[in-house]
Amino acid sequence: MHSGGDQLTNSSETRTVQLTIHNELSEIEQIRDAVDRLGGELNVPTRSLIQLQVALDEIVSNVIRHAWPSGGAHQFRVRVTLGPKAAEVEVIDDGKSFDPRHAPPPPDLPAGEELPAGGRGLAMLSQLVDSIGYARVDGCNRTTLKKNW
Amino acid sequence: MAQSALDIAETRHGPICVLSLSGRIDSSNASTLSTSLAALFEAGEKAVVVDFASIAYLTSAAFRALLVASAQAEKNGARMVLCGIVGQVRELFEMGGLLKAFNIHASRDDACTQLG
Repeated sequence: MHSGGDQLTNSSETRTVQLTIHNELSEIEQIRDAVDRLGGELNVPTRSLIQLQVALDEIVSNVIRHAWPSGGAHQFRVRVTLGPKAAEVEVIDDGKSFDPRHAPPPPDLPAGEELPAGGRGLAMLSQLVDSIGYARVDGCNRTTLKKNW
Repeated sequence: MAQSALDIAETRHGPICVLSLSGRIDSSNASTLSTSLAALFEAGEKAVVVDFASIAYLTSAAFRALLVASAQAEKNGARMVLCGIVGQVRELFEMGGLLKAFNIHASRDDACTQLG
C-alpha cells in the first residue's frame, strides 16, 4: 500500500525523499525501499546504510505503535536526506508528546533470566545515530536524527 | 543492499528443527518470524535452531519476536538456540543488550550438537 505524498528531490550530491505514511507497520516498507534506492545511488557505505535503516525502523515504528494510544487512522511525515557524508531524518507526527532522547539504556541480563520483550528500540537508536533532536511544535512532535559516515 | 523480504526455510536434522532466515527482519515483517516460531512450539517441537547467517540486519522488532518465542519455548519445555550471529547482526544484538539473553552458538553444527 502506498499512502502518497512521496516527493523526491535530487541534486548532484544529495537525495531527499519525503513520505506521508499511515500509522501501520507495513508502511515502513516504503521508507526502507526509498532509502535503499537513494543509498545505492550515493554509494553510502553498507554498514552506515544498515544502521540508518535500523534507526529509521526504530523511530518510525515507535510513532506507529505509541503516538496515538486511542487508535484510529493517522498520518505523519518522514523526510530523509542523504548526502555524501551524512544522513538527516525528520519525523513529524501529531501524536502524544514524546521525547525519544529520554529512553533508558537496554538491560543486559544473563541467559535464563526473562527479559521484557519490548522497550529496546529507542535505547538502540542512540547507538545507531550521531545525534537525536526533539521539539514540540504547534502540537506536533518533531524528531530529527543525524548520522555521519 | 540485501533483499527486502524475510524468507524462512525449515529443515529437519533428526529431532531438531532448523529455521534458516534470510533477508532482513524489521517492524514490517517481524510478525512472520513470530508466527513461524509460535507454530513450531505449538506443534510440539522441542529443539529449534534459528540460523541468522543470511540475515543482513534486524531491528528491535526481531528481538521482541525472539524474546516472546524464548518464553514460549520455556513454557513448553522446548529449547531454542541461535546461530550465525556475526558481523552487523552481532553488533545489533550487542546494541540491544541481548548477546547474553539467548543461547548463541558459532555455527549451525555447534547448535545442533548442543541440542542433539
